[in-house]
Amino acid sequence: MAREKGYTKNNFLKGIIIENPLFVSILGTCPALATTKTVEAAIGMGILFTIVLVCSNILVSLLRKLIPEEIRTPAYIVIIATFVTMVKMLTNAFLPELYSTLGVFISLIVVNCIVLGRAEAYASKNKVFDSLIDALGMGVGYTLALISMAIFREFLGTGAFSFGKVFTFIPEVTLQIIPKGFELSLFQTPVGAFIVFGVILVVLAFIKNRKAELKENRARQERLKKQKEAAAAAAAAKSTAEGGNK
Amino acid sequence: MANNAKKYIITAVTLGVIAAVSAGIIGLTNLLTSKQIAINEQKRFNAGIVAIFGENASVDTKYKNEGNGKYVQEWYWVHMGEGVEPNYIFKTTGSNMYGKISLLVGFDRAKNFKGTYTLVNEQTYASTLVDNYLVPVNGGDKELDDVTCGATYGAKLVRDMVKEAQEYCNGIIIE
Repeated sequence: MAREKGYTKNNFLKGIIIENPLFVSILGTCPALATTKTVEAAIGMGILFTIVLVCSNILVSLLRKLIPEEIRTPAYIVIIATFVTMVKMLTNAFLPELYSTLGVFISLIVVNCIVLGRAEAYASKNKVFDSLIDALGMGVGYTLALISMAIFREFLGTGAFSFGKVFTFIPEVTLQIIPKGFELSLFQTPVGAFIVFGVILVVLAFIKNRKAELKENRARQERLKKQKEAAAAAAAAKSTAEGGNK
Repeated sequence: MANNAKKYIITAVTLGVIAAVSAGIIGLTNLLTSKQIAINEQKRFNAGIVAIFGENASVDTKYKNEGNGKYVQEWYWVHMGEGVEPNYIFKTTGSNMYGKISLLVGFDRAKNFKGTYTLVNEQTYASTLVDNYLVPVNGGDKELDDVTCGATYGAKLVRDMVKEAQEYCNGIIIE
């Protein structure tokens, strides 16, 4: 079957912008609120999430014709849980700081609706390569969404950006931007997470509505222009006809 | 009938194979990571001893809790150097509906509370518990019984773990 041009690119990009799992589909909000206190933790969560999503999408797509309809969901959950357990053990062994920072939220990837959702809605119906691209797009989109929330929360809540505390293999650096004592620690709390999440959603909704409004205005102007042109053409035709009659 | 039986068998076998392969993969990962995880746990334990008692602190023999305690798993003498009387450190583990927590609880020779060190904190309110309870309690800015902190259930659990460790500590008779 021939596929439209740029399908792979659009398949990847849709997860980042048009169908962003966090900001558009509002999925996976629990870890997004809990693990975005620092940019480093958000990056860590995003990477682990992407690994699980990519691996489970590939395997689900590979086994899509072998898994009977009746046990699709339990089979997918077993597959996802296997990858989450592996990721959890590997993080505990090789990135212990990330493991203790994310805590229970690594295990909770099992019940993240995005992972099961993509397995069910996409990987179970599509080829391996497309499923891989879909998972990468969704993973990158989710990671970028987590990072954007963490930037606001860490900056406003601590007045600084710190690196090297979670990923201990890089040197520890702290960039203090807001002087100590002037930071708003509220943004480090769950309340602050909800505020940041809400504000981002409002801004995105405003941009989306504004774009739609502009598009509609442009279309209306086009329509008016065409109507005017048609009217002018009709008037010209009429005057020509009248001149011919005379 | 025969078709149905075939369908059931295929379904059961497929799920069984997936589960078996998953178990194998998890077992293999465990084999590869368990050594490193044990090393990390030991490092964390040593860091906890130093955090509570200072640079010179070291432990040797492990004593298992053979009693009926709910949280205390094991305890150690903490040696502070030649001629200095040793202190106590207790490894405690507990869980509630918000997750698991494992702490080291330290007491000095006079059995006064010296502080806690978090080994595992899988509470969903983990960071709130640390910032609003564990840090102030360890710094002496908050009483152990003042559990109102935004992660109250976790704080109550920690309080109970420390109290059980203290009771256990008081029961230790030095010969």
